Amino acid sequence: MKKLRSILGHTGAILGLVLAVVSPFLLFGWFQHAIASAGLRIDPEYTGGEIARTIDRGAYRIAVYQPVWRRSPIQRIAPFVQLTWAPAASLPETVSDAVDLDGDGVADIRVTFRPAALAVDVASLNGKYRSVHSQGVTSFSQLIARVNERIVLRLPLD
Amino acid sequence: MAALGLVTEAFALGVSSGPVCLASCTPVLLPVLAAERKPLGGTGIILGEFLTGRLGGYLVFACLAWFAGITLSLQSHARAVAFGLSDLAMAGLLAGYGWTLGRRQKAGCEHACPATRARRFADRFGVFAPFCMGFASGVSLCPPFVAAGLRAVQTGAFVNAIIFFVWFFAGTAIWFIPSVGLGMLRRIESVALVARLMLFLLAAYYGYLTFIVLGGLFIHG
Amino acid sequence: MAKQAALAQRSISRSLLLTLPILLWSLLMFSRTMMQSGKAPKIAALITLAFGVVLFFQMMRTLETHRWRRYFFVALGFLFPIGFIWDLVSLRGTMSIPVERMLSGDTPFCFMVIPMVIVPAALTRSIIFPGSILPTASNPHAIATMVALWLAATLIVGKAWCSYGCFFGGIEEGFSAVAKKPVIKKLDTRWRWMPWAVLAAIVLLSLATFEPVYCTWICPFKAITEYPQVRSLETAAQMGIFVTLFAGLVVVLPLLTKKRTQCSFLCPFGAFQSVFNRVGPIDVRIDTAHCVPCNICEKNCPTLSIDNSAVKAGKPMMSCMKCGACVDTCPRDAAVWHIKGTDVGSHSERARLFHLYAVWAFAVMFGGSIIANTLTKLLAMVA
Repeated sequence: MKKLRSILGHTGAILGLVLAVVSPFLLFGWFQHAIASAGLRIDPEYTGGEIARTIDRGAYRIAVYQPVWRRSPIQRIAPFVQLTWAPAASLPETVSDAVDLDGDGVADIRVTFRPAALAVDVASLNGKYRSVHSQGVTSFSQLIARVNERIVLRLPLD
Repeated sequence: MAALGLVTEAFALGVSSGPVCLASCTPVLLPVLAAERKPLGGTGIILGEFLTGRLGGYLVFACLAWFAGITLSLQSHARAVAFGLSDLAMAGLLAGYGWTLGRRQKAGCEHACPATRARRFADRFGVFAPFCMGFASGVSLCPPFVAAGLRAVQTGAFVNAIIFFVWFFAGTAIWFIPSVGLGMLRRIESVALVARLMLFLLAAYYGYLTFIVLGGLFIHG
Repeated sequence: MAKQAALAQRSISRSLLLTLPILLWSLLMFSRTMMQSGKAPKIAALITLAFGVVLFFQMMRTLETHRWRRYFFVALGFLFPIGFIWDLVSLRGTMSIPVERMLSGDTPFCFMVIPMVIVPAALTRSIIFPGSILPTASNPHAIATMVALWLAATLIVGKAWCSYGCFFGGIEEGFSAVAKKPVIKKLDTRWRWMPWAVLAAIVLLSLATFEPVYCTWICPFKAITEYPQVRSLETAAQMGIFVTLFAGLVVVLPLLTKKRTQCSFLCPFGAFQSVFNRVGPIDVRIDTAHCVPCNICEKNCPTLSIDNSAVKAGKPMMSCMKCGACVDTCPRDAAVWHIKGTDVGSHSERARLFHLYAVWAFAVMFGGSIIANTLTKLLAMVA
């Protein structure tokens, strides 16, 4: 029993060495592939969630995302809905779009902003959403920002 | 029959919401239960106090929803103030609880002396604090809670709304029962020490939240 | 004394022979760097290779571990932030990370985040961190990359990560080595349970709030890596906390106590890695037959992992980072390296060799690449 334990201990020590040697060539790649294939995603509070619908405006497209709600009472990031305008380079000097947020075919808000200034006015058209005037980043739930080739707008839902 | 339907609906909504409620309460509840070093029965009593406080929070909200007719999603400014004050209360409760725990678990002097008065205060605080922490965690505006509130208002009668919330609470409370098992770890001194350190750490966290929420409102409006 | 008698040291030829595998490994690991164009990467690779090989040779020759390991570890600790900050400033002109960068998934993923994201990821399949799953041009420190690295490192070295891989730990180890004697000698050992409290608190709070609470609240190393752009009271408060904790726990207290106080009293990742200390085949033991409790090991342990109860039990607490300080300073050879399953003290040097080959192979691959990268940048400035 004592000898067996010693053999097992030495085997473990040798395995440790083997792992150290193969890790940069095999282990690391396997693990990275496994994690990437695990079906994980970045949390919607950072990505804005899934795209619900896309509105084609000719030179640019508006993507309306699914609302991101709180999942816990003490979650600090307030609920929001994200919209993006892309490509940013094709946007006119002033953008003014009526947008249907809930997919019922009726425009809910009118968004007006100047891409260069990143200040936005959101006027509620039917009282379902609140009107907002915002510049830059106020919080994770309320912002207008240029992110790579998109203008990202987040409107708080409470 | 209608009453049974209401109870079933409320209970089912509570059970489905339970994991969210549990996840949001465990940062406070678990260290409180683990630090006390009480057996299963004693841990169950503290859990009972916490849940009673939580029920109290639910019922206060039910009354507000019914009598004040408040829309169940508060304006963000009011919400921020409410949460900031709740965080401040929680910070004080956690810090006080951690401090009085040390007093209660230390053998105090038997004669009339400051240690005895402090010990009495500590004993009372030890009973009162879990209830208050439960209450603070019960007044929350998470989506299931809001849904329960809306449904409660729809029942059309105040008594029905209260019954709805009580059974909603019962459904969520089921998820908390396994936490009584922390009483089995009472003999491990390091577990109790870690739990007590957590109380102070969480008090600091809630104090930090209070500062940034209320301070942010003060500065930015 | 036994140790000093044995300090006749290993012969040079035998030490060179034992160093040869590490030399070959290092040549393999740095071959790609040496093939890069320009003089700077080649010189950097050679310096790093020579540095690692000489240190390992000294470990073989002197039969000591801690002193030579420390040189490598401190170099890693101080060079990592230089290289990291360099990259941040080159990519976006600032150390601070604006929200826009977070929204595009450009936040570098740090291994400290791992304990916080595991439970939310298991329950909701989403990672509560504003990074990217796979590496991109603007974010090479992707989640899959860093988690894979952590998994591989944990399998190989377990908690010895804290002595050979953690670039943050190297900073405070450097400061702890400055003073000859500690100014603060007595520390309440109950504080060494604080990392567990921090770990439990951040895991529960992260699940409850769906945000990486340690990163947004109390990580001291944000002060020297990257931090949210200061745009509000909240971000200003965060910076205040980060800088205060860094100054206190990473600089001042190590200077005064000669202990790794951030690791001992705060780091939740260290507590997390302690769980894996049970897994590895090599550990440190105390041979109670030879021990005359002189407490020298306790005084020299940088993480307060040894006390009277640990000595009686014959092994350090699970917070042991396998740095080798106790083994090297024990005057009775009572603190020894040990292969699990064998008798304590029976194959101490063999155990040490098994341990060192594995951890040094990892250190060269991981820490060595960081050191070489930073040296390349510094040399490119002057060359």
